[in-house]
Amino acid sequence: MDPNEQRVRAARRPAAWPWLAPALLLLGAFYLVPILDVLRLAFGDATLLRPASSYGLDGVRDILAQPALPGVLRVTAIFTAASVLGILALGLLVALLVVRGEARRLAGMGVLRTVVLTAWVVPGIANGLIWQMLFSEAPFGALNSTLGVVGIAPVRWLSDPTNAMISAVIANVWQGTAFAMIVLYAARKGLSDDLYAAAAIDGAGPIARFIFITLPQMRPAILVTTILVTIQTLNTFDVILALTGGGPGRTTEVLSLFTFNTVFNNFDLSGGSVLAILLVLIALVLTIIYIRVLVDHPDRRQ
Amino acid sequence: MSGIRRERLVDLATYAVALILVVLFAAPLLWLMSLAIRTPAEVFLGAARFVPQDPTLDNFRQILTDRTFGLYLWNGIKLCALGALGALIVAAPAAYVFSRRRFRGASALMLGILMVQMVSPLVLLIPLYRYMERLGLLETHAAAAGVYMALGVPLSVWMLKASFDAIPKSLEEAAAIDGCAPSRILFFVTLPLAAPGMASAFILNMLMGWSQFLVPFILLTRDQLQPISVAIFNYAGSTSASTTQLLAAACVITVLPAIAAFLALQRLIVSAIMAGAVKG
Repeated sequence: MDPNEQRVRAARRPAAWPWLAPALLLLGAFYLVPILDVLRLAFGDATLLRPASSYGLDGVRDILAQPALPGVLRVTAIFTAASVLGILALGLLVALLVVRGEARRLAGMGVLRTVVLTAWVVPGIANGLIWQMLFSEAPFGALNSTLGVVGIAPVRWLSDPTNAMISAVIANVWQGTAFAMIVLYAARKGLSDDLYAAAAIDGAGPIARFIFITLPQMRPAILVTTILVTIQTLNTFDVILALTGGGPGRTTEVLSLFTFNTVFNNFDLSGGSVLAILLVLIALVLTIIYIRVLVDHPDRRQ
Repeated sequence: MSGIRRERLVDLATYAVALILVVLFAAPLLWLMSLAIRTPAEVFLGAARFVPQDPTLDNFRQILTDRTFGLYLWNGIKLCALGALGALIVAAPAAYVFSRRRFRGASALMLGILMVQMVSPLVLLIPLYRYMERLGLLETHAAAAGVYMALGVPLSVWMLKASFDAIPKSLEEAAAIDGCAPSRILFFVTLPLAAPGMASAFILNMLMGWSQFLVPFILLTRDQLQPISVAIFNYAGSTSASTTQLLAAACVITVLPAIAAFLALQRLIVSAIMAGAVKG
């Protein structure tokens, strides 16, 4: 064989493993080993202060039988469902508006995209603190004093349980919309104009085009966005920690915050590990359900 | 004719909805800015003084001349930069092999790397806290930056692979004919060409690190080690209604570096995420 060709082949085919080793070792040490360890911890009775002395299912049963847990799961379900719906709806709305603005060459539509994205880079803790100032129940609080200008009585944004949940969802949606917008915007840009042109010839109006072309064509992107946003929301707790601290009472204490409190305030390492596994399992089950609903559905219809 | 008129009407509606959304999305940060430049007296005027009559930079001066706040900012930058740099160094060779070579298990590994990203850092930190404690690495920036780095690797591998994929192989082949070793090709040929991808991966890692709260909150409890994300949380606990303007200024100082970096590199970052989104 020509030596040059040999060299090219050698360059094209470097042994893969040495190149992968640093990344895989790091991921192994910081992901794989901890995950396995969490599984082990879950069945022990370790606390943050001392290692496990015995293993068994008693600890698992104890933590799952905690009276607070059903309430926490309900709060998690409401917070996650409302956030995901809000983020998807607003993300899709902004994405489609920006695409339309670009298609019609409307000046200034980029501002919308930039403003939405700006909220995205605000750290979660700062997000919670900023909204805490906005939702301040003092007469000079941002929202309440604005409502006062138009003659509406002050709202108990954070001290009323229902309102506190709404407030937490608003803060989370404000920040989370950007991610959904980018993914859905990319997906919408990827759709061919031919479908829309054909639909226009058939006389389909904007609503018909949205329902019969945009939504079905964007199904895969909506699926991916839904999964990622759900997992992100399930894992979110810094916004809530800074905004309400889980209160009033436990009415905004989501599972991730509950897990955090169990481990780092009550020092119950095993209990926290059980809850952490529960968190991962919920994410996994929801992902499988989404894939079934959004992917299998069209095949079954055919 | 009516079609054109209808399009114009829809344009108008597009603008109207866009305007409402811009106001809703911009309002929190604008209000924060307004609070941060108010005097204590004007804070109590609420919405009646959205644009302060008597704007002041005093709040910023007070926060920034507090020596520990400068330290918190520096700690934040240091942790993020070390984490981002480390993630790129580890991710680049892996991404290069994923991009240039077909080997058994490559796609399964890529998927695995994507999947681990979905595991909450909360899950990982329960054991990591114990390891660091046993190794005597609690209260060190090295340990915290190590976790930042590990959390940044999955995204970096995916982003860098996408940017390597976009670089033609012909230059690398030319270098190989000249007898250049694969590692030198990566370093001197591919990486310079992938500079925009590297830059956006670096910035995204920095932004993710800047938002990181849990890792430093758990691994660093000594005040002078903490980054700004943890520091403002602790600071907020010590403020009251009469010092809202100071907390607002501290929040502005926290979010401004992230927003400035993002706005400066928006085009680069958005196209990088979109490239990833289309593939995913």
